[in-house]
Amino acid sequence: MPQISQPAMEFDPHGSAFAADPYPSYAAMRALQTPFYYEEIDTWMLTRMSDVEAVALNKTMLRNNEAFIGEKERQRQKRAINFHDMPYHERFVQVNLLESEGETHSRLRKVVFREFTPAMISKQRDAIQSFVDRLLNELSDQDEVDFVGEFAAHVPGHIIGRMLGVPDEDCPLLRHWSEEVVRYFDPGRGDADKQRAEQATKEFYEYLLALLDTREKAPQDDLLSRLVSHRDEGRLSQDELISTAMLILMAGHGSTIDVLGSGMHALLKFPDQHDRLRADGSLMKTAVQEMFRFESPLPFFHRFATEDCEVGGMRFPAGTRFGLLYGAANRDPDRFEQPDTFDVARAPNRHMAFGGGGHFCLGNHLARLDMDVIFSTLNARFATIELAEAAPEYKRGLSVRGPEALRVHWQRR
Amino acid sequence: MITVTFLEASGNRIEAHANAGDTLMQAAVGAGVEGIAAECGGAGACGTCHCVLPQDWFDRMPAPNSDETDMLDFVIDPQPTSRLSCQVSIGENMDGMEVQVPDTQI
Repeated sequence: MPQISQPAMEFDPHGSAFAADPYPSYAAMRALQTPFYYEEIDTWMLTRMSDVEAVALNKTMLRNNEAFIGEKERQRQKRAINFHDMPYHERFVQVNLLESEGETHSRLRKVVFREFTPAMISKQRDAIQSFVDRLLNELSDQDEVDFVGEFAAHVPGHIIGRMLGVPDEDCPLLRHWSEEVVRYFDPGRGDADKQRAEQATKEFYEYLLALLDTREKAPQDDLLSRLVSHRDEGRLSQDELISTAMLILMAGHGSTIDVLGSGMHALLKFPDQHDRLRADGSLMKTAVQEMFRFESPLPFFHRFATEDCEVGGMRFPAGTRFGLLYGAANRDPDRFEQPDTFDVARAPNRHMAFGGGGHFCLGNHLARLDMDVIFSTLNARFATIELAEAAPEYKRGLSVRGPEALRVHWQRR
Repeated sequence: MITVTFLEASGNRIEAHANAGDTLMQAAVGAGVEGIAAECGGAGACGTCHCVLPQDWFDRMPAPNSDETDMLDFVIDPQPTSRLSCQVSIGENMDGMEVQVPDTQI
């Protein structure tokens, strides 16, 4: 471990002040001469775009450290963070495409990539539009809604469920399981959360098995049927099929809801930008890109160094864990002019909200299409949308960013 | 310095000056070529830095590996001389090359 000589700095990502506005903390860390050591999780935090980008692109920096710490140490670490004794969760959630590297990662990624290309995703436009229209038909007459809970939260899970091949009436179940399964990644989790995450993984697994059975008998034009063919042709195992299906659902679910909420909030906090977007729909693409930069919904990922390395002007030994603070890098003034300004026409806008390197988010086109359809539809349908509360509460913690709820007044055209 | 010219779909010609060993994608991004999105930053993982090379230059380079050709199957309107610009390393012998940038990456 390198010598830690850093100025004392308050860093409390669990508190309400950080949830309300994490950006001053990020700026303070960025102002330090070297990366900031966050003792609580034994991680060196990177906040400058140049450092974050370099580590994300470095092929010797891996998502998991299994290859070089050995099975025994890995088990010890899992016990230390209480990630053990949950057989279904360990089998299908803690091991998947996102957590893999090397041959497994590249093989699984190829299987999923072809399902999430722009051409494949653009086929979902009509389905997204009709679902959004249906939801808004039910909500438009209310003057006040919780934009997150009553609207945004329903969209991504429904669309991904459809893509997988889950019947519409079961999509709410997927949403429930997805939320329960990822509950275990919350920093404040307890044993009860562990049990709920395990139970949800088990139910989800059993549901997928039954659905797979129908697809084996009668393949359809859906992702699950195509995963079955890939399995039968030897590209992935049965367990990998299940974990991949679960990951596809979970990866794009909560984060898309969060950025829908924070994106709406940004438009309402900066009415001049909202007016600009309403006046010129051709700005939608840059506006969505800016929503991801401004409030990156997954602001923290990590990598392990597998070799001795130099990062941010310091030497580190193999085994060091780095925190890639995408939310901080996306506000780095060395990369973005006036980074704390929300600008719907910002271009170029080379942010890292979808990560970078070999783990770059496969679902990015789908998330962007959800956003595009939703904000275009809101612009067409509503004459006014205004905040109904001065300061919506944001989720706590380092790993997620998005409002818990967002109460708005809206008025139809 | 090696000069490579990027021809954007709009008709713009952008000259980029690069060092040997840089990737074509780095040269394009450094010169502000808007049509090269390169969202993953150069890992060949997103397929948004697609470009089309002239046949004679394409033939002179090492062939793309299988990971790259797999990705090229999914870019919009792939051509026989398509490459992911992040996978093309610029050599001294590429001075004067002209590269076509597609209308859209996504």
